[in-house]
Amino acid sequence: MKPHDNRAWLLLLPAMTIMLLVGVVPLVSVFNYSFHDIFTLQDLHWLGLDWYREIVRSERFHGSLARSTLFSALVLSIQLPLGIAIALMLTHAPRWRTPVLMLLALPLVVPWNMIPIMWLNLISKQGLLGQAFLAMDAPIDARFNTLHTWIVLLAMDTWHWLGLVVILSFAGLSGIPQDYYRAAAVDGASRIAVFRHIQLPKISSVLSIAILLRFVDSFMIYTEAFRINAGGPHRATTFLTLDLGEEINSFTYGAAAARSMVYFLLVITVAWSFRTIMDRRKGALEGINT
Amino acid sequence: MNTPAKAGQRQGSALFHGLVVAALALFILLPFAQSLIMSFTSTMPRDGIPEGSYSFINFISIAVTPDLRESVLNSTFYVLLNVTLCLVAGLPAAYAYSRYSFTGDRHVFFLLLVFRLTPPVVLSLPIFILFSKFGLVNSPVGIALVHCLFNVPIAIWVLESFISAVPRELDETAFLDGYSLPGFFFRHLIPVIAPGIGVTAFFCFIFSWVEVVFARILTVTAGKPITMAMNALLGIRPDFGLVAAMNIIALLPGLGMIYFVRNHLARGFVIRT
Repeated sequence: MKPHDNRAWLLLLPAMTIMLLVGVVPLVSVFNYSFHDIFTLQDLHWLGLDWYREIVRSERFHGSLARSTLFSALVLSIQLPLGIAIALMLTHAPRWRTPVLMLLALPLVVPWNMIPIMWLNLISKQGLLGQAFLAMDAPIDARFNTLHTWIVLLAMDTWHWLGLVVILSFAGLSGIPQDYYRAAAVDGASRIAVFRHIQLPKISSVLSIAILLRFVDSFMIYTEAFRINAGGPHRATTFLTLDLGEEINSFTYGAAAARSMVYFLLVITVAWSFRTIMDRRKGALEGINT
Repeated sequence: MNTPAKAGQRQGSALFHGLVVAALALFILLPFAQSLIMSFTSTMPRDGIPEGSYSFINFISIAVTPDLRESVLNSTFYVLLNVTLCLVAGLPAAYAYSRYSFTGDRHVFFLLLVFRLTPPVVLSLPIFILFSKFGLVNSPVGIALVHCLFNVPIAIWVLESFISAVPRELDETAFLDGYSLPGFFFRHLIPVIAPGIGVTAFFCFIFSWVEVVFARILTVTAGKPITMAMNALLGIRPDFGLVAAMNIIALLPGLGMIYFVRNHLARGFVIRT
């Protein structure tokens, strides 16, 4: 049990000072702007909840919210199983560990504005993949074909972030003591049983971080999605952040601030309920063990 | 116990692993191969070099363009500053979380998570207004500071796991030997958790080097990092060869970081939450 000592707060001071400056103060400002109509920053008009009402009732918002939710759901259902499967394979194949982890980390160090450029070049008619598909008589059309645009976005996002899921899952798996596996072998447990009853519960906390990071970053995808097709064709890939980008570019700051707050609340609500569920499950497991 | 059946099974799974790795390598490396080819291709009509032929012209252009050269320095500077800030602020906080419980600790931890999860677009406007008051716009220092928003929580989280793996006796003997807290940090704790510091620096690097939303809003006329120098190249009719060459150069520090932490990633690090 850790000793209770409130002097520990002193150790948090440097971190808290930075977070106050770059996090709390800006967030409070956005909150304040969201109740105003803003012409210039010296010329604010109190509006109350008008912006919020307008946003929450608009069909545009509902459409973008549905598309972003679908995108996040697809991203998670592709990247999590795939990432966990690769991490499991690495535990059985020691000699591939370093090369595969290095390989999968590569896309993580590519600047985000270059990722869509790399993919657009790859699928263009002169690109390696574009030519291959052209040769198979199935040209990729990420400009006017909705399905193709979605597939390109999902492939690109998986390419970009699979490494993070694998690195975190593998870190979780390698923290499991060998005794657990020996005990399972004595019991004659199958691979599936080992995964279900030892590995999955043991990596659940690290996975929850991976899920949260992947959820937020896909739900709020901007740079990559915008470059591929600017939200088209016919708004089919207009996600929540693309709406916000439009508002900021047209200088309607009050509305943009209100929209920012709505997104912020959405993300925090999901994070908070997710954490509550995880805590409750953890509590239940500990209850069984003691 | 080395029956032929078992040996066959092992061979089968080795083959399967090889196939999976080959498929992954193809998927991951294809976009990089495309960029590499383009970076050595002249994609603009130029005197003496036919369009589409292989040449070093793009890399030569970078070397002779002051804006592009400067952007490499700006990026390097702000990332180093950001990693330093995150480690300096993160280490004591991570130590506090690892060794003590205190009033409000769980709430502050959730607050840190909230800031890691806040989309940068949400805060970009007030950050710009706030930073222009302090003269931090158009300077790499501003970018280094604002990237702490998502990197300080990451640093605290990763470092806390590494510090918690160190037995508490290390602290107690050092304090009995008369070390002060800073003395203990530098003489005992930091050497022991050196791999953790490497992994933390890696994570801070990969989230800071590649970030574009804050980097764009904070560099209007000067202090542009590599990412924004590349954005500036994407005009009406972009020279994709030059952009690809710049991208290859932007990848080099990342490759260095990956090489640097490869063994720590492969050995796995225990993450506690």
